[in-house]
Amino acid sequence: MMLRLLFIAALCLPTLVQAGSGPWERIDPARELLGESKPEVGALALDLPAVTQDGSSVTLKVSLDRRRHSDTVIEALYLFTTGNPAPELAEFQFGPAAGPLDLETRIRLDRSQQVFALARTADDRWLAGVRDVRVTVSGCLVEGTGSLDDDFMLARVRGPSRFRADRPSEIRAMIRHPMETGFREDPQGQAIPRRIVKQLDVSLEGEQVLHARFHPAIAAHPYLRFHVAAGLEGDLELEWRESGGEKAESRISIP
Amino acid sequence: MSAQAMVMWGGLALGVVFGVLAQATAFCLTGGLREWWSKGQMRRIGGFALALAVAILATQILAVAGLVEPARSLYLQASFSWLLVPLGGVLFGYGMMLARGCGARALVLLGEGNLRSLVVLLCLGIAAHAAMGGVLAPVRVAVAEATTISFGTPPGLAEWLGSVGLAETLARLIPALLLGGLLILIALRIADFHRARAELIAVAAIGLVIAGGWFLTGHLAADDFDPVPLQSLSFVAPVGDAIQYLMLATGMRVDFGVAVVAGVLAGAFLAALLRGRLELRGFEKPGQLVRAMLGGVLMGVGGVLALGCSIGQGLSGLSTLALSSFLAAAGILLGARLTVHGPIKLAD
Repeated sequence: MMLRLLFIAALCLPTLVQAGSGPWERIDPARELLGESKPEVGALALDLPAVTQDGSSVTLKVSLDRRRHSDTVIEALYLFTTGNPAPELAEFQFGPAAGPLDLETRIRLDRSQQVFALARTADDRWLAGVRDVRVTVSGCLVEGTGSLDDDFMLARVRGPSRFRADRPSEIRAMIRHPMETGFREDPQGQAIPRRIVKQLDVSLEGEQVLHARFHPAIAAHPYLRFHVAAGLEGDLELEWRESGGEKAESRISIP
Repeated sequence: MSAQAMVMWGGLALGVVFGVLAQATAFCLTGGLREWWSKGQMRRIGGFALALAVAILATQILAVAGLVEPARSLYLQASFSWLLVPLGGVLFGYGMMLARGCGARALVLLGEGNLRSLVVLLCLGIAAHAAMGGVLAPVRVAVAEATTISFGTPPGLAEWLGSVGLAETLARLIPALLLGGLLILIALRIADFHRARAELIAVAAIGLVIAGGWFLTGHLAADDFDPVPLQSLSFVAPVGDAIQYLMLATGMRVDFGVAVVAGVLAGAFLAALLRGRLELRGFEKPGQLVRAMLGGVLMGVGGVLALGCSIGQGLSGLSTLALSSFLAAAGILLGARLTVHGPIKLAD
């Protein structure tokens, strides 16, 4: 009886037995990043809805397990999916003015699949986190994404609602852009060319907070929530660039 | 407070108010139609008409004041299925007569201790999700794509009047006052409210709850950084969502619809408790169980096809003056009528 229970338990927990294994072993760009190193699985926490009826905009949160990694400094973060036409979602490089890893964005998911994150620490270790997401057929058939409207490339940014010098400052940034994937057709059957927001640079008083690169699987009107390191004050500058050559800037002062 | 939290607590509050009012007035389209058609009593159908009139007027006033943009709602989408919206309405109407009450009424009855409604709600919620994203979804999507019609301006009365050159204020107020005024006149005439002033006020307040839903999701909680869909009360998908929430709470957030469902249940329970109307009820014959299950399934599937129920399309949708809501409401009335007249009428 005892043996049988153990056997069942072992069957249920294959992920714990094979340390370091995960979807990154099957996705080429992730494999190239990792090289020979094995990531520490579970160090990154991914927060996504378990089931979503609208794959065109799914909120994804990534944070670091604070109990195990209170002093770990993250230099770069890479987000991937296993079931979209292209696996890359976004990449982030963090500068000295970045707060602890806790960011949020909105992504597109084609179907039920896994989303995973890989992070490189300052001492060149790799951390990983993975989540399953189930995407069902659109529940309400609401018409999809925006177009090149009047507010095109309107960039906005919002600082922390209450500034505290001992806490990282939460920043929320957004830009109006349809993030045209290049996979869609217009009503006449012509392919709509790809046009996406490619990158975002954030700096505080000239010191880098982060540099982000976006791929077509970031949802229309790209949105990013991130943190500036505790105690830092001054002018925060954001610069967005898109593939059509347009540029947009926004700034706020902290606090 | 974050937009999500505001929508959750606000939805809960609106649900409680709706639950209390609906319990106290026995607010019910199904019951109203049944009493009208079988006994010639017009009080409850008059109450529904009055709530609808208030919902239309209040919602259009919010739109004129620039506080809510109805075109952003589900009901005024630029395209919908010309087949599935009215057909879903017919299925829903037939189902609500079979089950002796729509989804909202079933929630209120469950709050009073009527466990027959629990069966109706479970069947409704599961069938709704089967049609939205489950086993029936591929068929629904295929038929919807083959029967879609698209419009340049959002398909609604006010938007059309606006596109032929009427100023927005007039384009909204003229149809709202005509339709609302007509409904109020009819309601006051057919339903003898003179002896029930309190009931008159209570059903009018139900109309205000609908407008309150638009105001909450469209104005109070409007935040570009944290968008919530513009919506008001509906009881098809949210019943399914509430069942799903019970099972998957760790991976879900409470949205407006689920909060409203919980609120209605709580409000109806409170009102029934205070008014001494709590009583456990079950099925007496297996036939009743079959009717409840079949009615629930028809309402769930029909409500998804029609984009809403007797409340979702019949009050919230019509308050936006959307074409899809008029089609769905006509379908619901036709489906209900088929239960008392014609080849598939029900034995009483």
